Amino acid sequence: MSLSPENPPVAIDAADCRTGLGDAAATWRGLLADRCALTLLPVLGPDGGDAVPLALLAGRTMAETAPPNWLAHLDSLAAAIPSEPWGMPGFPVYVTSSNFGVGSLYAFHRSQDVSHLPHATPAAAVEVLRRRFGWGENVTIFSHACVSAHLGLIAAARALAHGTAERALVFSFDFISPFVAGGFHALKILNGGMPAPYADRPVGSIGLGDGAAFAVLRRGRGEFGLAAHSLHNEMQHFTANDPAGAGFAACLTPVLAAAAGRRVWIKGHGTGTLDSGRLEAEAFGRLQPKSPLVSWKGSLGHTLEAVRGGQTPGTTGSSGPCFGATVAIPAFANGAYDGVVLASNAFGGAHAACLLTHD
Amino acid sequence: MTERFVHQLEIEDPGAETPAETRERLREHFPRGSLRRMTQLGLLVGRVLEPMKLQGDEAVVYASAYGESRTLEEYLASFPTPSPTLFQTSIHPSAVQQALIARQRGLRQFYPLTGGRLLGSHALQTALQIQASRTVLCGGEERGSWLLGHGVASEVSFAFAFDLSSDPARAIARIRLEPGPDAGSALSLPELFYHLRDRLALRRVIAPGLNLALEWL
Repeated sequence: MSLSPENPPVAIDAADCRTGLGDAAATWRGLLADRCALTLLPVLGPDGGDAVPLALLAGRTMAETAPPNWLAHLDSLAAAIPSEPWGMPGFPVYVTSSNFGVGSLYAFHRSQDVSHLPHATPAAAVEVLRRRFGWGENVTIFSHACVSAHLGLIAAARALAHGTAERALVFSFDFISPFVAGGFHALKILNGGMPAPYADRPVGSIGLGDGAAFAVLRRGRGEFGLAAHSLHNEMQHFTANDPAGAGFAACLTPVLAAAAGRRVWIKGHGTGTLDSGRLEAEAFGRLQPKSPLVSWKGSLGHTLEAVRGGQTPGTTGSSGPCFGATVAIPAFANGAYDGVVLASNAFGGAHAACLLTHD
Repeated sequence: MTERFVHQLEIEDPGAETPAETRERLREHFPRGSLRRMTQLGLLVGRVLEPMKLQGDEAVVYASAYGESRTLEEYLASFPTPSPTLFQTSIHPSAVQQALIARQRGLRQFYPLTGGRLLGSHALQTALQIQASRTVLCGGEERGSWLLGHGVASEVSFAFAFDLSSDPARAIARIRLEPGPDAGSALSLPELFYHLRDRLALRRVIAPGLNLALEWL
């Protein structure tokens, strides 16, 4: 589902993020220095459990507080959003998340402390943000695990195309809690190993990280644009992909077609699980053999920093051999490229990709 | 102004039916191997999606404020040894995924929404802005148990699905969205469900700047 010709070009006016390495600029610098934000922490936070790789924002712990300790980090991010009457007609907000305030629900269940409840459902958590940031009620919420942010970007682009939006804000966040870390640990993909995206090794493992980001979109062209989007949902298995990689190819093909004539590098999902890492690297290598593939669980914020800075961080945590010849382990200069394909995957064989252009 | 026509509407209104009763009532709609693990919401949403005969090229918009409330309760109770099955089925948008994975039915565009008192408004707006030949809008909730007592789960179980296209021939309803006053009311998901179930017309502002006209033909 390419945005062209359905929708006109969309420009990114502003973007920033918060990760375990800092804001967009600090994250980019940290990745270039091959710094890894993941540290081994108890999977259930204060309740203990196996040590697993988690990347929390600076100063944050998994001990749930009321109000949640992640709110201050979102305050800091929101302060960087250009001023507009967000949430009012013409200025829609699209909030995306997998977890919202589910850590508060977990904390309530453990403690029976009702002070956690005002943040415990998706709608309640977003309502807290809406009031906190002074947004109007035009706030649409998407939740589709790791492809959630793509849906927000697509919906924002559509609203701009329809003329119902002058500018649109996409605001995404996820913070780790025992609820989520415990779940992935139970699935045995979050274990004591550090993730090594696309590495061909005996046992795969993922890491989980806090993260938040925003992007402000408008119609027209700019230094950075979103030229195409694509989605595909395999619906074959909850936690596995089609073994031939058909889902990766089905999602990537329209975006790569839209990238024809451009030199693109690729920021893949690269969780560190073996099957999806192999399928993703093979699909990209087959469909776009001249485009280097990296994974650092990137957000739009530090991807823009990487393009502006002329250096793309390599695949932090990995070393050869890898599943595909296009996997870039070290950082590389990106001055000769004018596009980036950003790809993500989620439960149910969900795939999303978009084409970020730099003109 | 955006206008779409509805040709097919499916409703599940199980009242106080328990998850076990829903499973028994709807067992013939799902493969036996999948049935045992499906949530009540997965069963209800799966039932209303079945007659939609999804081919994969439609866009599907799904809305649920609370998702799998019962499964969420059971997953929380499984700590400190969390259940992997309950984890994956408690995650939004599990209901649609359960139904379509059971039927091995892939889908290109899938937009799962959540929200509060404007969830019905935003689901309609999202669905009507998609330029697909056919869009299916579905939604639902399952009644919580102990979470309900704390106001963080749905009070009612229900599900609905209807299709949207630009073809007026043999349509059963017309939905129109157009600019409205900045100050307005809301349309929650249960409210949208009741209007669909009882085929009630609706003409009012449903979100700031957004006017809805739902007309039964």
